[in-house]
Amino acid sequence: MHERTYIEYDNARITRKEGILLDVEMYDGRVFKDVEARRLFPLTGLKKYITLLDSDGAEQAVIRDLDNLTPECRDTVMDTLREYYLVPKITKILSAEEKYGKLKLSVETDNGPHSFEIKNVHADIKMLYDGRVLIKDSSDNRYDIPRLAALDKRSLRVINPYL
Amino acid sequence: MQEGDILANAPLPEGVGEKAAKLLLEGEKPLFSITGDLNLKGKYGNSAIYITDRRLLAFDAYHEGGVFIIALGDIEDAEVKRMYGNAVLKVKTGGRNLDVFRFTYSVASLADAAAMFAKNVAAGADSAEEFETVKATFEKKKSVCPKCGRVLIRQGAECINCASKGKLIKKLAKYVRPQLKVMIVCLILSLVTTAMALAPPYVTKMLVDDIIPNKNLDGLVTLVISLLLIYVVQYTIGAVRGYYMRITGDKIVAALRNDIYEKAQYLPLSFYDKTSTGSVISRVSGDTATLQAFLLRISQEAVIQFFMMIGIIVIMFVMNWKLTLLSLTPVPLVVMGATFFGRRISPIYRKIWRRWAAVSSILSDTLPGVRVIKSFTGEDRASEKFKNYNSDWLREDTKAALLSNMFPAAVTFFVTCGSLLIWGMGGRLVIKEPGSISLGLLVSFISYTGMFYTPINFFANLNDTYQHALTSAERVLDIIDAEPEQNFGAGNEIKRIKGRIEFRNVSFSFDRIKKALTNINLVIEPGDIVGIVGTTGSGKSTLVNLLMRFYDHYEGDILVDGVNIKEIDLTSYRSKIGYVQQEPMMFKDTVFKNIAFSLPDADVEQVIHAADVANAHSFIARMPDAYDTLLGERGVGLSGGEKQRLSIARAVLKNPSLLIFDEATAAVDSETEHLIQQAIERLISGRTTLMIAHRLSTLRKANKIVVVDKGEIIEFGSHDELMELRGKYFKLIEIQSLSEKIREGREAENFEFTEV
Repeated sequence: MHERTYIEYDNARITRKEGILLDVEMYDGRVFKDVEARRLFPLTGLKKYITLLDSDGAEQAVIRDLDNLTPECRDTVMDTLREYYLVPKITKILSAEEKYGKLKLSVETDNGPHSFEIKNVHADIKMLYDGRVLIKDSSDNRYDIPRLAALDKRSLRVINPYL
Repeated sequence: MQEGDILANAPLPEGVGEKAAKLLLEGEKPLFSITGDLNLKGKYGNSAIYITDRRLLAFDAYHEGGVFIIALGDIEDAEVKRMYGNAVLKVKTGGRNLDVFRFTYSVASLADAAAMFAKNVAAGADSAEEFETVKATFEKKKSVCPKCGRVLIRQGAECINCASKGKLIKKLAKYVRPQLKVMIVCLILSLVTTAMALAPPYVTKMLVDDIIPNKNLDGLVTLVISLLLIYVVQYTIGAVRGYYMRITGDKIVAALRNDIYEKAQYLPLSFYDKTSTGSVISRVSGDTATLQAFLLRISQEAVIQFFMMIGIIVIMFVMNWKLTLLSLTPVPLVVMGATFFGRRISPIYRKIWRRWAAVSSILSDTLPGVRVIKSFTGEDRASEKFKNYNSDWLREDTKAALLSNMFPAAVTFFVTCGSLLIWGMGGRLVIKEPGSISLGLLVSFISYTGMFYTPINFFANLNDTYQHALTSAERVLDIIDAEPEQNFGAGNEIKRIKGRIEFRNVSFSFDRIKKALTNINLVIEPGDIVGIVGTTGSGKSTLVNLLMRFYDHYEGDILVDGVNIKEIDLTSYRSKIGYVQQEPMMFKDTVFKNIAFSLPDADVEQVIHAADVANAHSFIARMPDAYDTLLGERGVGLSGGEKQRLSIARAVLKNPSLLIFDEATAAVDSETEHLIQQAIERLISGRTTLMIAHRLSTLRKANKIVVVDKGEIIEFGSHDELMELRGKYFKLIEIQSLSEKIREGREAENFEFTEV
């Protein structure tokens, strides 16, 4: 098992290539070409522990904390992550209709208005202890309510029966 | 599904259809379109791809001029890159990769088909042929009902919302029909009891108005005795009816369960690839009960309640129409109140149920795992977690306590208010205009009004019950209506298989999109021991699954002794094959019956002999209950090596002509491995054997080796021939030898350590 390479502070320069591919030049001379950034904790650690995988899916290096990188490198990685991970944040719940055991939600998100269906309310809506709510729709798309209490009263009233 | 005359998953975004039509070249034939839900920047928006027999047109506001057009011939590669919650169709042209269409997972599988189509046609494949695959994908991956937009129970299933209700009733009537006579008798009995239930308030009227004021003792005795008789008959009939209804209900649910279970046995494995066994179990247990309750509710209760309602109204109108109208005034209020509270309370109950399910899951997770908790000193953490979940439940239950007590109180309050209204208005009439209504009439009216709310509530809640039952019907019929395994060669039984196996140009795909096996050509002679090797996911098990006829929709032919296996009777064919699985499945039964599962009529000595051959007899004999030992679910109580040997004994008992062996990779010590190897050797001697082999020792026994990689046979020959080739097999063996050396080394160390 090889020693894990951690990228921190200014020990690497990260540049964006085609699509979401990145090139990493370590200051010790090593170069990782065409790597993709992935979150090791996509639900709980949006900026921490970002792994960089090569085209075979092998890990080349890990970024401990995006906020500790130089601003250019951080923004470059964040941009690719934003493109890779689509988890719209729900800002308003317009309606919830349950029919034939399935729940149809119409919502407003930071990504625009959207409607989707949830197959199993019990399994697909998860309430976390910090007040976050994670939702998975019938096509396996994800949605996030970052802070339930921050929703307006009407939205809360609509979603409350299903939490 | 059709947009105009082309295949489409949804209507094209506004303006796109017209734009696409204008862009068509002369003679160009549009084939299909996919409407997406994201734009190229990842925001929800309108986008689509439109594919013709010559070109791919991608519509997105972020393409220059709103559209990207490429001739299929210019495509070097096309693929769907799946990301997290979204995916993108990438097209390679002129050495550059371009993102042409972005979408959420809702249309990802359709986009896969489009990418495959574009790629294959660009590579020279016939567009009409490739389009057939696309059509199949559209049909299979149809996860939303095109009529009502509802998500289907599984992709390609019929939508219960849009299915003909007549057909549905016809299907379910099959279960009611055998019980019809009893049900009709029960219905008549209930109508009698309902009519009787309507009598007491009228008798009350007679008592109050006539018998008591006139001090008519004889009349009083007659009426009391009549009432007593009414009650005796009413409750006796009620009990008898209840008994028969229970039996009828049980018979309906039993017939439904039998049918689902039996059907589940004959369903092809492809059904189980898409449906979890847990879901099948809940359909057999929960959904059948829901359906049975609904069938009885609609065929009995609805009729009774209807007659009850009509009966009450008629009696009340005959007695006094003015007072009847007055009595009915609070009905809408009560119905609205009950519906309102019902809607408020049911989500709360559901919430409590969910909180309680969370508490239960902690229990079922942690108590069986108490060893782990103790060994990692996690007692406090486990208790804390339980407390958290339990307090969640407590919080919700406390909330519900308020409403659940308010709910019945409020309904009763409305009903009481209704009777107060009658008391007030009716009482006033009794006092002021004694001629218009009597006191007895007023009293009986109050009783009838109270009775009236039962049918009203019943019909108010019927829709919810209906919705619930329809969902259950969908899940139950999904199994009952599913296509069973095809037995094309029914009746064409075979006595013995000599063992010549031939795969002729066999290609297979689980989903008709991605090939799992491609152009397999293989000849195995009788008595051959063939080792199948390859990395995980290479297609080894698929090869074996096809030979077992677990899947039918493959291209090419598989022949056994020169006969196409599809033309042989399925039961007869499978009965000639011994299949030893990688993870042997033991049933909750005795060791004896677990071995005899392959030959239920086997006598004791046959079973003992089979156990002997499989090197299992000695460990069985050492167990206190020996062959009578009851095994737990999945063979709890036995080690992996022991289960493996029982599974071999099963195969020995069957005396198969053809043997398929999926070697266990479970870590067993060398001694156990030796015992298993010995058992395998005895089992395979003289039989054509296909072994998915992982161990070098097993591979050495094989006289032919097939190396499978990415669904294709890349090497075929003897061990020595393939070693000489220094290809994939050589590499696999190198890795294997190394890991076996390490394992042996570790075992030796362990041995020495134990000795010290």
